[in-house]
Amino acid sequence: MTNLDHGKFTRMTTTFHSLLALDVFALFFTGYAIMFNDHLWWLLVLMGGNVGVVALHRIAGLGLVALVTFWVVMMLITDTGRSNFRKVVPTGDDIAAFVQDVKFMLGRADERHPNARQFAGYDSDEVPLLSYVGKGVVFIFAIELTLLVISGLLIWSKTGLMQYFATKTAAMAFVVFHGLLGIIMLMGVMFHIFEHGFHPAFYPLETKAFIPRRMIPESHDDEDVEGTGIERLSLAPSWNLVANLMGVLVTVGIVSVMTASIVDEGYPVPRELAVEGGVIELLLTIGINIGIFVLFVGLVLSLYGNVIRRRWERQLQEQRERPTAGDGEVASAED
Amino acid sequence: MSKSNQEVMGDGVMGVGENTRIFPDVEACIDCGGCVVACKRTWDVPRDEQRISISTMLEGQEGEGGLNASSGRAMEQGTSPGETSIPMQCYHCDNAPCVSVCPTDSLVSMEDGFVNVRDSLCIGCQYCLSACPFGAPQFPDSDEGVADIVGSGGTMDKCTMCDERQEVGKGPACAEECSTDAILVGDATQIADELERRDSGVFFNDVAMEIIFGDDAEAF
Ligand code: SF4
Ligand code: SF4
Repeated sequence: MTNLDHGKFTRMTTTFHSLLALDVFALFFTGYAIMFNDHLWWLLVLMGGNVGVVALHRIAGLGLVALVTFWVVMMLITDTGRSNFRKVVPTGDDIAAFVQDVKFMLGRADERHPNARQFAGYDSDEVPLLSYVGKGVVFIFAIELTLLVISGLLIWSKTGLMQYFATKTAAMAFVVFHGLLGIIMLMGVMFHIFEHGFHPAFYPLETKAFIPRRMIPESHDDEDVEGTGIERLSLAPSWNLVANLMGVLVTVGIVSVMTASIVDEGYPVPRELAVEGGVIELLLTIGINIGIFVLFVGLVLSLYGNVIRRRWERQLQEQRERPTAGDGEVASAED
Repeated sequence: MSKSNQEVMGDGVMGVGENTRIFPDVEACIDCGGCVVACKRTWDVPRDEQRISISTMLEGQEGEGGLNASSGRAMEQGTSPGETSIPMQCYHCDNAPCVSVCPTDSLVSMEDGFVNVRDSLCIGCQYCLSACPFGAPQFPDSDEGVADIVGSGGTMDKCTMCDERQEVGKGPACAEECSTDAILVGDATQIADELERRDSGVFFNDVAMEIIFGDDAEAF
């Protein structure tokens, strides 16, 4: 066993993460099938055609409202919720960590700030529950999802929208906002998938968001090892190829989605501002489909995370029944 | 039509085909509903849908300053036009907001300047309804099946400007039928000139005119 079991989440957080991922993927697959309907015609058909797709999108939207409401209530009424919330609130150290990271990239700092530590290579007590990047992800996703829910509900109910905003301009602003924010969120999610799926120490998946903390031992009493444990890992042979490939796919996906939303006449960028498509239309079609492929990989990884959790549970179970025999195998559950 | 009247009012339909616009002369409209009937009969429009409808505003009220029969002039002068009936339909805008906002490109500005709905692409999101300043988009299937359950709009339907009739040289059914020639069909200059000749004002504000006619709005 290595020293990688830092940043542990409760069972509720891991379950919530999985459900949220499923729901958000459903929203993305339907939403992008609508927005990029000419590039993702096959997805539109799979999602129930032009009538079914809106129905699915709205049902998933209601699912999101339910999940978010549940989460907010839990944050407020449980002790763990409140303490988790405190751990997510950004501090001065997080800003310092960001600044130091920029310096680090420029070669002006020797090491990364403790609040930037997220992955292997440190003792687990040196690593915060969430790095500043992790906190950023939580906050950005939370804000984006809230705004998407609000604008989505307003767009859904035409009369509600008109009643509150009285002018067509305001109503249209919400429609466009919903689309643009969706694109920004897509880029963030692609990055999130890459970040947590293709790190050399965790490839093909960082398990902390899937295996609840009470299933992870607090100490490593099996052996007394010097070092952080990272030196005991060996790099998966396929990592290099797969990580590079996914890096390229994520980049192509993000760039295409961004470009297509500008080039594509009409929604969400007004016609007057749109650049003419023409020749690059084909490239964009490929690029956007690559983006959807990246999302699909994310969905598969999210499901795989739960498979790993099941395996982990089973091994713990066996270990409990045969106290010594299982030790070696637990470590291999990380693969 | 008597000879003296003919000198004042020309035909509503002045031209058809490419770059033809459709625009109401509200001062001529007497709210008889002839256009509505003509449209329904021509296209078999279902009972609970109207591709053209007459909106009557300030019902029973008198216009200010003797402008009772000159709603357009009253609007231009910023005074109350009194009871006015406006034939509302899709004006096939030059700067069509509905086309801009349709996420599936189901609404398109055709080469000939007409705005078309491609039924097979429409997802019933009703963004066009939010965008259209004239309330043209209709959703006759909005309470059917899945559309009803999830609150989507079914497929959008609106005035086609009788493009099929125009292809064979006929004017839109509503304009041909209108007994007072209150629906003007022709290019922007023809419409502007005809309104001028009738001494009818433009009932819509500059923003709306800019949306409908684009650069040609200057003709008015
Ligand atoms: S905005 Fe309304 S009136 Fe203008 S083209 Fe679209 S549907 Fe017709
Ligand atoms: S309802 Fe149909 S035509 Fe109107 S914006 Fe939505 S997809 Fe386009």
